[in-house]
Amino acid sequence: MGIVLKEISKSYDGRTVLKNLNLEINQGEFHVLLGPSGGGKTTTLSVIAGLTEQDSGSVSIGGLDVSKLSPGERRIGFVFQDHALFPHLTVFDNVAYGLRVRRIKGYEMTRKVEYYLSKVSIAKEKGKFPHQLSGGQKQRTALARALVIEPEILLMDEPMSSLDAITKETVRDELKSIQQEIGVTTVYVTHDQNEALLLGDRVSVLNNGRVEQIESPDELFYHPKTEFVARFVGFKNILKVSPAGINTHEAAVLINNDGMKHPIKIRVKKYPVFEKGKEINLCIHPEKITLKREDETVAGDLNRIRGKIIKRKNNGNGFMAIVDIGGTTLHAAISSDFKVHENVWVCFAPDAAHPLCGKKCREPEQRRKCFNGGNTLAL
Amino acid sequence: MKSFSFDLAVSLIAGIFVCLIVLPMLALFTTTSFGELVCQLKSPLVLSAVLISLETSLIVVFLALCLGIPVAYLLAMKDFKGKEILDTLVDLPICMPPLVAGLALLILLGGNSKFGGMLSNHGIDLIFSKKGIIIAQLFVSIPFLIKSARDAFESINKNVINASLSLGASKFYTFKTILLPLAKNGIYTGMIMTWARALGEFGATSMVAGCIPFKTETMTVAIYQNAMSGELAASTAVALLLLVFSFTLLLVFKSRVKVQAG
Repeated sequence: MGIVLKEISKSYDGRTVLKNLNLEINQGEFHVLLGPSGGGKTTTLSVIAGLTEQDSGSVSIGGLDVSKLSPGERRIGFVFQDHALFPHLTVFDNVAYGLRVRRIKGYEMTRKVEYYLSKVSIAKEKGKFPHQLSGGQKQRTALARALVIEPEILLMDEPMSSLDAITKETVRDELKSIQQEIGVTTVYVTHDQNEALLLGDRVSVLNNGRVEQIESPDELFYHPKTEFVARFVGFKNILKVSPAGINTHEAAVLINNDGMKHPIKIRVKKYPVFEKGKEINLCIHPEKITLKREDETVAGDLNRIRGKIIKRKNNGNGFMAIVDIGGTTLHAAISSDFKVHENVWVCFAPDAAHPLCGKKCREPEQRRKCFNGGNTLAL
Repeated sequence: MKSFSFDLAVSLIAGIFVCLIVLPMLALFTTTSFGELVCQLKSPLVLSAVLISLETSLIVVFLALCLGIPVAYLLAMKDFKGKEILDTLVDLPICMPPLVAGLALLILLGGNSKFGGMLSNHGIDLIFSKKGIIIAQLFVSIPFLIKSARDAFESINKNVINASLSLGASKFYTFKTILLPLAKNGIYTGMIMTWARALGEFGATSMVAGCIPFKTETMTVAIYQNAMSGELAASTAVALLLLVFSFTLLLVFKSRVKVQAG
């Protein structure tokens, strides 16, 4: 069943957590709510579940307004961040709880419980109590408990935040395959962009109680609409620019990032979103930037900005230099022979920069490379 | 060296505390012999006081459970106007001198008050009766159950409750199957504290129910009455019995908690 949130607002003690939030989640979709802590992700999930009552707005599930219904009447399964297993019940009884509430007993109950315990590979632990389980086992139990009631909607609040990297990877793969098999509409909250990328059919980025952007992971990560989204998903080089002159193929723009001592003029490829005087954000991939020593010649068709290397780090795939260009910094993928405090030319071609406008305007080979400091993420 | 001196000082202070508790109890044993103790405990008056105390205090524990757990749940789980006032009211009987509580109850329930007169017209006489003892004991002891149960409810992870609700359970089903089992240790503690307080209640009880032998004379009242009339042996016998009750209760409770924690 699809979910529609219309104009949802919620405040706690005078602090607004959700501001007229609108969100549509399609039937059978794995939808990820991504955002920083305090962005309103968990409150959104809680409002969908009916565990938190919104101050205004409506929640519809499958076309039915469920705003006034109790959590139990919404046919949801909820997996909590801290698992929230019933500590006095065994794994079996935890999973059977929702069935007992529905007065499903005897053989039918046992069959269903054992089916879902097997599905999440926890059947061997059914006699254990929660305190005897590992983090991954607790997570599997919580998932089985939510799935056994065969909910229309599965809600998951940062369920893997307490798992180690290896367990997380295993559980994530299993979760995705179970979701695809069952086809249950899933809303998954996380602040980890990798998790969002790997799990979501679509991702909503929440910031300060509003949805900043809703896209498929590919589109979101390669065509962020706002600086916040770009930074949150890992873009390093974001330049605030104002077009100063636009011709047929190129535009002259002034870099005006906060903290800059004076604007720097560069030439970039002309994009349809450019309007003279209107500020826009551009992204430059670190690998599209070349550093040249002060005494080296730079090709005339390249942009050239004087800078100083303030930090050099090994990011696993190579070296990354952070270059101060006069109040703002740029990340550049470099060879190992550049040193910290060295004065350099930051060089890049006019077509290396592209706007953060949420529109598809880049070459395919540029995809997947604009974030995480140049690390290409495996999709 | 400094660390040793500090440990020694702390141990000495702990020793003073032990003396403060143990010496008065030992003093009780010096005034009587085992034979005399048994003889006193067999006397009808002492036996009656013991039975009245046990009967009323156990009823008080039951009533405290019925009244106190909903109040504890309300205070722990809900936010509402007047919560602070209700919270203060719960604490009030603990801070209030029992004699003041007794006087207030006497005025309210006595035949001269409208409420007392109304009850009397319906054949309900609470003053100088076991019912009066129960009300007085309940008044002073119920806060112990409420506070203990409230703490226990508050310590439960809210997401566990939300998990139950999200699985379709009603609030009552969640209360019955999740909250009560998880809060049971706190509730047991509250029950024992309530029972001990009710058993040891003197001021309010004597004001409301008086000291009528074989009718309203509880163990504490018997101790006072006998001590004041020079019957020190009888007084000591009842006092020692109360001590044994309290000690046994604490032992049973502590061993139970230890087993569950282990």
